[in-house]
Amino acid sequence: MRLGIRRGRSALCTGAILLAISLCAGVAFSVRLILDRGVDAAIAALAAGRDVPVATDARPELLFARLAFLTTRDRFDEAQPLMNRIAATGAPRLAAAAFYDLSNGRLRVAIGHLESNDIDPAVLLVRLAKEGYRRALMLDPGFWDAKYNLDVAMRLVRDFPQIETSGEEIPPEAAKRLWTDLPGVPRGLP
Amino acid sequence: MRRTVRHLVLCLAGLLPMAVVLLAAPPAGAQLRSVELYAPRPFGHVIGDTLALSADIVLEAPFRLDPASLPRPRSLDYWLELTDVRLTDGGTRDGAQRYTLELTYQTFYAPLEPKRLAIPAVPLTATDGARQVAITVPPWSFLMSPLREIVAIGEGTTMALRPDIAPRPVATTGTRYGLLAALAGVVAGLGLLAWQMGWWPFSRRRDRPFAHAAREVRAALASSAKPAASSTSPASAPGHRAALLALHRAFDATAGQGVFAEDLPDFFRAHPAFATTEAEVRRLFAASRRLFFGDDPIESAREFPPAELVALARRLRAGERGGA
Repeated sequence: MRLGIRRGRSALCTGAILLAISLCAGVAFSVRLILDRGVDAAIAALAAGRDVPVATDARPELLFARLAFLTTRDRFDEAQPLMNRIAATGAPRLAAAAFYDLSNGRLRVAIGHLESNDIDPAVLLVRLAKEGYRRALMLDPGFWDAKYNLDVAMRLVRDFPQIETSGEEIPPEAAKRLWTDLPGVPRGLP
Repeated sequence: MRRTVRHLVLCLAGLLPMAVVLLAAPPAGAQLRSVELYAPRPFGHVIGDTLALSADIVLEAPFRLDPASLPRPRSLDYWLELTDVRLTDGGTRDGAQRYTLELTYQTFYAPLEPKRLAIPAVPLTATDGARQVAITVPPWSFLMSPLREIVAIGEGTTMALRPDIAPRPVATTGTRYGLLAALAGVVAGLGLLAWQMGWWPFSRRRDRPFAHAAREVRAALASSAKPAASSTSPASAPGHRAALLALHRAFDATAGQGVFAEDLPDFFRAHPAFATTEAEVRRLFAASRRLFFGDDPIESAREFPPAELVALARRLRAGERGGA
């Protein structure tokens, strides 16, 4: 009997606690879902080609979407700060993808320069692209597309050993050793 | 990072059986017993691969590795990066101090044909506090393979890049499931409360005469006691009368027949959930007898003041809820 009352009371307490916890969790999940929806809408707008302003402290997914938007339009100077923000948020897969996309954009423009024999800006862009691919691979060593494109960028630079050796990262003797086995010239280059 | 670790573990696991003891160094003094290098397969690596090397170092007991002599993760060459250095202290056993030094390198060389490259030796220092001994983890060489052909056969494929990674929307599946679970929790909690309190849709699940009576008692006493200063002062006769009547009706409804003071033992036998309130119920019946038959409402109300009446109604309701 007393047990019965106690059981009734504990059921009542359980119900009330369950209700309170569930309400709190429901509110939290709803807020998160609404925020996610907002971010998704902005990402979709950027993917559709509309330029949406993005706060510097936005979610990394949104920063990445804006970076991809800027990169496909060759606005690398605006994309670089976003890249640094994404790398600082500590989302390695996303940061690797961002390094990769930005490097792809630079390499595409560099190849365009090379096809029109405009070598100096191309070399700078290829060097930046190589650095980006390296950073992407350090974050994600199994990133095969980055390996492939880094290989493409490496062979581009082999065609300009005298320019490359002026850089500070490769000592001249290392560069000389590197270029002796240059087997051929890729298509479309001087 | 997790990928890196998985890769590393895979490398180690796959290659442990063929781990080559590259150097069982003759002790440089008596201080160094051995340095054994365990390395992955020495061929078939491509640009961007990680190479996980592991060195087992055994020193004479008082000597310990100087942590300051460990290499720091850095760029070793234009194509070689030391990405991770991890030293595990294996403890001292049989007068020997054991260490495992794990070195993770990443190669960025882009060969045009299979090319042999070397990872340089790693100098370390051991010390027993006074003397210092130089230790060397031996160098290691491996073959790197090219990733692409030298001259593309297809038209325009030499410069063809792998495509960009398209931005993807934020994954909301987990949040959605969480929200669904929370909604289910709300429904379950409300259901439990409603079931216990006899709210809709459980109000007709089972008649709860005492729940009803408790409400009536409170209402009757509240309406009549408003002018009174405190809840302990006797209520006016009509309110008190109505409250007692409500409780009697609840007893009758619970028992299915009229319950009088003489029927109480049978009532409690049939409804053991109310046994805790037996003494008070008896007092209640005595008070109501005085009110209804003795015509002494003031005395009756004093004997059973409104606050107690409400408390009793609540206890009866609780008994009905929990035990019936």
